[in-house]
Amino acid sequence: MADASRIQIHFVTGKGGVGKSTFAAALALKKSQEGFKTCLVELGHQSFFSSFLKVENVEYRPRKTRFGFDLALWSGSDCLKEYALHLLKIESLYRLFFENPISRSLIQVAPALSELAILGKITSGPPRFVGPALNYDCLVVDAYATGHFLALLRAPKGMAEAIRFGAMGEQSRSIDAVLRNPEICSYHLVSLTEELPVIETLELQQALKTEFQIQAQVILNKVYPQSEGSSSEFEKFLQQQTEQAQAARLRFGPELQELPMIFENQSQDLIQILAKALKE
Amino acid sequence: MKHLDDLILNSKVIVCVGSGGVGKTTTASALGFRAAEMGLKVLVLTIDPSQRLKTTLGISEGLEIAEIKDSRLKGRLWAAIVDNKRTFDEFVLRAAKYAPAAEKILKNKLYIQLSTTLSGSQEFTALEKLHSAVESSLYDLVILDTPPAKHAMDFLEAPQKLALLFQDSVIKWFRDPTGKGKNIFTKILQTGTQQVLKALEILTGSDFMHELADFFESISLWQDRLETRVKEIQRLLVDPKTQFVLVTALDEARLMEAQQFARDIQKNGSHLEGILVNRAEPFWWPSASGNSKIESQARKYFAERLELLAKVETWGAWIVKIPELRDNISDLETVAQLAKCLGDSK
Repeated sequence: MADASRIQIHFVTGKGGVGKSTFAAALALKKSQEGFKTCLVELGHQSFFSSFLKVENVEYRPRKTRFGFDLALWSGSDCLKEYALHLLKIESLYRLFFENPISRSLIQVAPALSELAILGKITSGPPRFVGPALNYDCLVVDAYATGHFLALLRAPKGMAEAIRFGAMGEQSRSIDAVLRNPEICSYHLVSLTEELPVIETLELQQALKTEFQIQAQVILNKVYPQSEGSSSEFEKFLQQQTEQAQAARLRFGPELQELPMIFENQSQDLIQILAKALKE
Repeated sequence: MKHLDDLILNSKVIVCVGSGGVGKTTTASALGFRAAEMGLKVLVLTIDPSQRLKTTLGISEGLEIAEIKDSRLKGRLWAAIVDNKRTFDEFVLRAAKYAPAAEKILKNKLYIQLSTTLSGSQEFTALEKLHSAVESSLYDLVILDTPPAKHAMDFLEAPQKLALLFQDSVIKWFRDPTGKGKNIFTKILQTGTQQVLKALEILTGSDFMHELADFFESISLWQDRLETRVKEIQRLLVDPKTQFVLVTALDEARLMEAQQFARDIQKNGSHLEGILVNRAEPFWWPSASGNSKIESQARKYFAERLELLAKVETWGAWIVKIPELRDNISDLETVAQLAKCLGDSK
C-alpha cells in the first residue's frame, strides 16, 4: 500500500540516444525492488517500453509488469481530459467540451496547455492532491530530451507569469512549486562520455540551476572498462574511451554517478544488470 | 544498389530525418560537403546545432548564414541556422504586410509562447526556411536537417496541423465581424456554444480567455498566407526532386522507429531512397582481434546488432552502413572524413 502523504518523483532526461529510457527502466526496477510502489511513466501517444520491455497494451491507466513496477503512457490530451472531468464534474458538460471540434482545436492551439496537463498529472499526488488519487510512492518519468524537457518545465512558470488570475494561474504556480521541491522531485541527466552529450548535459544542468534552483544529478552512462594495454585496435579504442571518460569526470565533478558499458542486447536483462549497478 | 552521389545529383532538396541523437546534423553537413566537393552550390539548413558544430561551420550568434571555404570544394557551401522565433515573427509580419496590427500580435503573451513552444512551430519554421531557400533559386541543392522526431508524421503533418488550428471556424468564434460587442461573452451568445466556452473558462480562468480572444483577433491577418504556404510546402515535400534520407542508429528500438518512419514517409507521397545507419560498425571492427575477454564480449555484442539489419523492412529504400570514425565529428576535417565515407559507401 502506498504512503498517501509522501511521494518521490524522478525525472529522467538527456540528449537523444544516450540511454535515457534504459536508465529510467533500471531506476524504476531498483525503486520497486527497494519496496516502493513504483510507476514508470512515459510521455506521448506511442509507447516505447511496450516493445522494449515486452509489455502489451501500454496505456493511460497504469498496468502491472512482471518487473514489479507499473507502466503508464501519459499524453497531454489524456491528462487534460482527466483533469477536465475532475474539475467540470458533470460528464455531459465534459463530453460537450471534448467532442466539440472547435474546442478540440482550441486545446491544441492554447499553448502550454498540454505541457501543463502532463505536469499537473505527474504532480497530482501529495502535497497538491488534485484529481483522482495517484496511489504510488514513486514515479519515474522517462521525460523528453534536453531542449524539449526544458520547454516542458518552463510551461508552468511561463503560464503563471502570463496568467495571473484564475484556475490556470493558480494551478501553474502550485505545479511549479512542486517541481522545485527537492524533497519531492529529483532530476537525473543521462550523458555519455563523448563531448557533444557532455556539453549538452552541462548546459542543461546549468539551466536547471539558474532558472529553477534545481540541483540535478548526472549519470555518466556506458563507461568502458580500462584497457589492458595490448596494441590491438580495440585496446586503442579502450584507451580513447578512458581518456574521454576522464575528461568528462573532470567537467562533471565528484557528484557523478557512473554506469558501466554492458554488452547485453536483451533489454530485459540489461535493466536488471543496471539496476544492480545503481548506487544506493 | 544506388550510390549516394547519384542521390545528390538527382535532388534539389534533401531532407534528413530521424530521432534525436542519431547524427542527423553531422550527416546533413557531410552530405553538404560531399555535394559541394562535386561542384554544386549547396545550402545546409540546420536546427539548433551544438556550439562546436557552429564554430566548425563558421556560424556565430546573430549571423544567420555563412559560407564554408575549403580548397577541396569545387562548388560552394553555405550553412545556416533556422532561428525558430525569428522565422515565425518574420513570417507573420510579411503575411500581415507589415500592418501595425501585426506588431501587436508579436507582443501577445500567447503568441510569444506559441511561436517558440507550440509543437509544430519548429517544424513549420524549418520548412518555411527551406521553401524560401528553394524559391530563391540561389542553390543547386538545399539540405535540411530536421528537428528530432520519434515519428515521421510528427514532422510531415506539423504544418497542416498548424494551419488547422487557425482555420476559419476557430477564428470566427473569437472574432466579432460586425464590430459590435467587443468582448468574448457577446460572441458566446451569437454562436450558441456558451457551454463549451464556460467549460474552457472553468479550466483556465477569464484572464487566459481574454489573451486567447486577442490572439485570435490578430490571426485573421495572416491566416490566408499560412494556408497558402502550407499547401506550397506540402507540394515541395512530395516533389520528385525532394528526397528524404533517414538517419538511424543501430539498435533494436531505433531500427523499429526507422522502419515506421520509412513507411510513413512513403505513405505521405514523399520519396525516401536511402536509410543511413550511422556508426554501424565501431572503428576497430575490421581490425584483427586482440582476443581479450572484453573484446570478444564487445564483438559478440556488435555482431548481434549488425544481424538486426537483415530483418529491417524498408519498403524499397536502400540501407547504407556508415562506419564510426576514429575521431568524434567536431570540426571541418572530420566532417570531410565523414563526407568521404558517404561518397565511398555502397
